[in-house]
Order: sequence, then structure tokens, then C-alpha cells
Amino acid sequence: MGRNIILLKTLLRSTSRFNSYKYCKDKKKRGKIVGAWVGAGILYLMLMSYCIATCVGYGHFGLTAGIPAMCAMVISLLSFVFTLFKTNGYLFGFKEYDMLMALPFEPKSIAACKFLYMYINSLPWYLSVSVSTLVGYAYYAKPSFAVYPLWVILSLIQPIIPMLGAAFLGFLTAKLGSGFKNKTIAQTVLTMIFIGLCFGSRFFIEDMLKNNKTEEVLSNISDITDKTGSVYLPVKWFGGAVTELNVLYMFLLIAVTAVLFTVVFTIVGRSYRQINSALGSHAAAGKFVMKEQKQKSLISTIAFKEFKRMTGSVTYMTNALIGEIMCFGMGIAVLFVDIEKVIKAVTKGAPLTSEMMVPAIPFIVYFFVGMVATTCFTPSLEGKNYWIVQSLPIRKKTLYQGKMLYNMFLTVPFALFADVTISISAKAGVVNTLLSAVLVVCLCAFSTAWGCVCGIKHIKLDWENEVEVIKQGTGVVVYLLPNMFVTMGLIVLVVYLGTLISSAIVTAGMILASAILAALCYARAMSLAAKQD
Amino acid sequence: MGKNKAILEIKGYTKIYGEGKKAADNVTLTVESGDIYGFIGHNGAGKSTTIRAVVGVLDFDEGEIFIDGHSVKDESFECKKLTAYIPDNPDLYENLTGIQYLDFIADVFGISAEERQKSIKEYADKFEITDSLGDLISSYSHGMKQKLAIISALIHSPRLLVLDEPFVGLDPKAAFTLKQIMHDICEKGTAIFFSTHVLDVAEKLCNKIAIIKQGKIIASGTLEELTHGETLEEVFLEVVDG
Repeated sequence: MGRNIILLKTLLRSTSRFNSYKYCKDKKKRGKIVGAWVGAGILYLMLMSYCIATCVGYGHFGLTAGIPAMCAMVISLLSFVFTLFKTNGYLFGFKEYDMLMALPFEPKSIAACKFLYMYINSLPWYLSVSVSTLVGYAYYAKPSFAVYPLWVILSLIQPIIPMLGAAFLGFLTAKLGSGFKNKTIAQTVLTMIFIGLCFGSRFFIEDMLKNNKTEEVLSNISDITDKTGSVYLPVKWFGGAVTELNVLYMFLLIAVTAVLFTVVFTIVGRSYRQINSALGSHAAAGKFVMKEQKQKSLISTIAFKEFKRMTGSVTYMTNALIGEIMCFGMGIAVLFVDIEKVIKAVTKGAPLTSEMMVPAIPFIVYFFVGMVATTCFTPSLEGKNYWIVQSLPIRKKTLYQGKMLYNMFLTVPFALFADVTISISAKAGVVNTLLSAVLVVCLCAFSTAWGCVCGIKHIKLDWENEVEVIKQGTGVVVYLLPNMFVTMGLIVLVVYLGTLISSAIVTAGMILASAILAALCYARAMSLAAKQD
Repeated sequence: MGKNKAILEIKGYTKIYGEGKKAADNVTLTVESGDIYGFIGHNGAGKSTTIRAVVGVLDFDEGEIFIDGHSVKDESFECKKLTAYIPDNPDLYENLTGIQYLDFIADVFGISAEERQKSIKEYADKFEITDSLGDLISSYSHGMKQKLAIISALIHSPRLLVLDEPFVGLDPKAAFTLKQIMHDICEKGTAIFFSTHVLDVAEKLCNKIAIIKQGKIIASGTLEELTHGETLEEVFLEVVDG
């Protein structure tokens, strides 16, 4: 037991910013660490504000009793999604595997410590939700004193079950994927299938639970929250434990979590060595014959290097491609499903028509493809390979242009496909479709350049695991959250503007605005790059 | 061997880490065209810190480094075009195949398709890794990665070749091949600056040597000037321990 705690402590310490701050003598580096803390603090505050605003909505409409279930649901969803995208990088195929396995640890202990490491690293997110919803609940419900500690303690246990579920899915993809020749592609495809099934089942459950589709949006959400509790029992146990101080629910939440933890890591532990051995071994044909070589431009060769970097990592591929695949799926779906039905389903029966949605099409598409720009983490991904580009005659401008070109290669085809099919399906007309296509390309350019600014500004080369920069990097977070919220706001804005003036004029205005922003971000990225030379 | 054209000039190079610790202290030396210049010293003496500054990977505080007359500080791009660097433990792009990595380097230096094909074939055959060039670098052993890094450094015919512990991890035959190649390219005017712990190799291979201790050059010159009939090992132990 003691040994496992030492391992967990070491894992946490090896990537701890506090440890770096404590022992780093370089003032610049220490400043960056403080900056990262401040940045993270702002993000936690943003999440807390969102939770408090939701609580105010619940309280205002007399739905205070639904707040605990909402808190449990948000924590569960966050923990599931966070873990699903990180499991492959943290639990399997990590670089210190040989070193750890050579030490006197049981495989299941290593896996469990890695899992707990993920859990502890994500705790600030869960605590932000827990504390802010508790404040909201306390304001409206005026609960007894016992609720406060119980709420916080149980909300710390709440994420473990969804995390175990996501880790187990990661285990299954790794186990199945390890049997294939191209393990990375196989694992990525399996992960995408599991993600698709998870999202699909969510809509399926929601649809089954819905009684009246024209209910008020908020009460509808509250209804879903309540009914989710009847399907996903930990939400119900949490709600019951904190509102009714129900000891049985408390016991069930703790006991089921402990039992599942033991079961999952007993199963994972049995195949841990086999999976990691398979993932760590590479087939070498040794049959290369020198043929005619081709000369490429420097930017193309850097873009190609990025492509190979992506196809060599499950974490990179799943995180970079998820938006594109969703976009592609959406583009295909609207060819077979009536778009009016899709709008009704997505907007929960809001009085919107496809005609009104025309100016929003490029932003809806961008919401998916722009979810993550590879440029916000690829500068950091150079990591230990940084010496190569640093010692070669490559200007940093050229390096980042290559990285940007790759992101454009990745996003533009998917974005254009979805944009055109949705426009056709919404009968947007030729002019609107063309303008929409131009806008979506401008948005991709903006996303690429803005991502690059974030990636260069928050470059981190001394990472231990690529998940740290792909999933948790400051550059990614700084890019992602404002981008997501602004896009959502823009969708509402252009729909509103479209009811006042012609959609084509709205789109043309947005083309101009996004092109200017893209150009400004590109110029900023280039000036930051020049400073690195 | 020296042809008297200075390719690498290090003048008063000083690197200070953290709380004023000098990893390199007023290092001054010159490597001329055709030189094979050995850089020897204990672990942590400042060899890699100096080498990394020469190739533009590491910033430095005081002094100047010139490569073929170009300042590493002010004209690093020009310097890098003339230099090839092989670190002691090369972390390469593991997701590329060997040939893709070599193509990447060749594209960076703008080497034509015919020229790269010829030189890759020549060096890959010499190091006996041609068959493996189609495999991912992640499947390579340490020695194979080292060979690939050496080939990538040679295919663009650098004016200055900088190597950090190049013989570590190489099998005896590959080490012999590398020594031969080093001699060959020096005959053509390339300057070589490399660090090593293997004093026998330095003695047989180099025409000039510098010994570094706690960041300072404590002895330097031609092999004859340094040894005066003694072995390099004896000289090294005398100056380092004395």
C-alpha cells in the first residue's frame, strides 16, 4: 500500500507545476508557471460562473431540488469525457512503462496509480462544479449544515464511476487495437466508434425519456436531469444523499465506487503487460529498396511530418479528428434526414426554420471543426525533438507555416463538405452556399492562426506525456474555451441578424470580419515566431 | 591536416546557469578546415553545453561563436546552413520511417532528388541500414537511430560537423566506418568538432584536442603539442587531476 502511495506521489510530483516552481531558479520559467496558474484559475472561475448561472436559472424557475442532480450530472459528464480522451495516453503505452514495470509493482497497481493520477489532476474541475453548485443550492434551499461537507465529499467520489467507465472503454480499445498491425489507427477507429456509441445512446435515452417535446426548455432539461438519475443511479444516489441525508444512498455511492474500482483494475491488471508489450513492439519489415526520391518544398515537408506525427499517436488523432469526423457525419446525415427535423431535435423544439438557420451554417460547421486546432499544441509536441528544428536551418516562421498548412489540410475539406451538404439540404441557394463556403474557409484560417498564436505563446517542451500538451496544455485551453463560447454566441447573433437583413449580407460581413481576424492572428503568430529565431 | 581556414571560432564563450553557476567559462578555441578537433573532459565538465551553443540550440551569456565567419548569435540561420549536429542520444521523429526522416532533412537543405538518392544510398549502405529505411524509427535500436542521425548529418555535406559522443551505441564496424568517413570528409575540407570520453579514439583520430574541466579549457592544441611523447590518457589525468 505504502509503495503505491509513493508511486502516486512521484507521478504527481513529476508533472507538478508547484514542484517546478519550487526548484526552478529561472525567473522567466517561474513567471510562466505563475501565468499558467492564473490562466487555470480563470478557467475554473469561468466554469464556476457557468454553474452558478445555471443554478440561478434553476432557482428562478423553482427547480432548486434539481440542482444536486445537475451537479452530479455535470461532474459525471466532465469526468467521462476528460478520461475517455486521455486514457490511451496515460494508462497505456506511456514512456516510463519499462522503468515502472522493472520495479516491484504489480501491473494492476501501476494502472490504478495512473488512474488516480488522472483523477487527482482533474479534481480542480470537479471541485469548481461542486463548490459553485453548492453555493447556488445553499442560496435557494437553505439546507442544514451537514449538507455542506457531505456535498463536497460525495462530489469528489462522484467522478470516479464515469472515469472508471471511460478507462474501461480505453482498456477495451487498447486490448482490441493491440491485435492489429497498425495499432494506432485501429485504436483510434475503435475509440471513435465508442465515442459515437456514447453520443448516440445519449440521444436515444433522451428520446425515450421525453414525454412532451414542446415543454419549456429549462424544465425540459430539469426533466432530463431527473430522469437521467433514474437511469444512471449514481446521480440519484448523490441527490438523495445530499438532500435527504439518505445513508443508504451514501453507502451505495461509496461502496459501488470501491467495488467497481477493484473489479476494473483487477481486469485491467491481468492484461496490462500483454497490452503494453503489444503496443510497444513495432513490426519492422527490413525490406526497403531505394527507389526514386522526390524533392518537396520545406513547408510541405513540415506539413507531412505533422501528418506522420498525428497518425503515430492515438491521443493526437482522437483529439484532432473528433470534430472533423462529427462534421463529416453531420454532412452525411443531412443528406438522408430532413434538416427541419434535425433543427427541431437539436434546438429542443425552438421555433426555428432551416431558412432562418442559413447564415448560421458555417458557424455550426466551425463549432465542430474549430473545436481543436492542431496548431495550438503542435509547437509543444516537438518536445524532446525540438533540437532537430532548432539545429536545422529552418526559420521558425517556416516551421509554423508548415504546421498551419497541415491544420488547413485537415479542417478545410471536412468543413467544406459539411457546409455545402447542409447548405444544399437547407435550400440556401447558390449565392448563400458560395458565401457560406468562403466563410467557413476563412473561419478555418482564423482557427489555424489563432491556434498557432496560443500554441507559440504557451509552448511547453518539457512534458512527460503528450496528453499534457494535447489535452491539458494551456495553449489548448486558452484557444478552446473562448473559441467555443464566441462561436455559440455568433450562431445566435447571425440567426438574429438574418431575421433583420439578407442572409447574404450577414455572411459577407462575417467573411470580412473573420478574414481580418485571421490575417491579424497570422501576423501575430509570425511576429511571435520571429522572436524565437 | 589543418588548412588554416577557421570554420569554428569560439571566443570567450560563457554560459551561466541558475544562481551564477558557470557551466562554460571563457571558452576559446578555433577549429580549422580539415581539422578533427576532439573535445574531452569529465562528465559535467561543460562539453555538451559548449556543443549545444555552437549548433544554436542553447542560448549563451557572454562571448562569441563564429561559424565560417557568421555569428551564431546574430546569424544563426546562416550558421545552421553550414553545420550538422549529432547529439549524444538523438531523439528523432519516431513516427517517421528512416527514409522519411532523411527526406525531411534533405528537403530542409534543398538537396535535389538525384543527389539525395545517391548520398542516402552511399551512407546507408556503408552503415548497413538500407534495408531498414522503410521501417518506423520507433522500431530502431539505439545504434540504428545513431546511424540514421549520422547519415542525416552527412547527406548535406556540411562545412562543420559537430558530434556529441558519436561512438556511444555504435557497433565496432559502424564505429570504424564513422572514423573512415570522418577522415574522408576532412580531406575534402570539412571541419569536425566532437566530444568523446574514449581517449584512445581521440588520440588516433584527432589532430587537435581541447581538455575542459569545470567549464574552463585547461589545455588545448595539436596532439603533438599536448602529449610530448606521453599518451593522451596520461596527459588527461595529469591536467585534470593536477
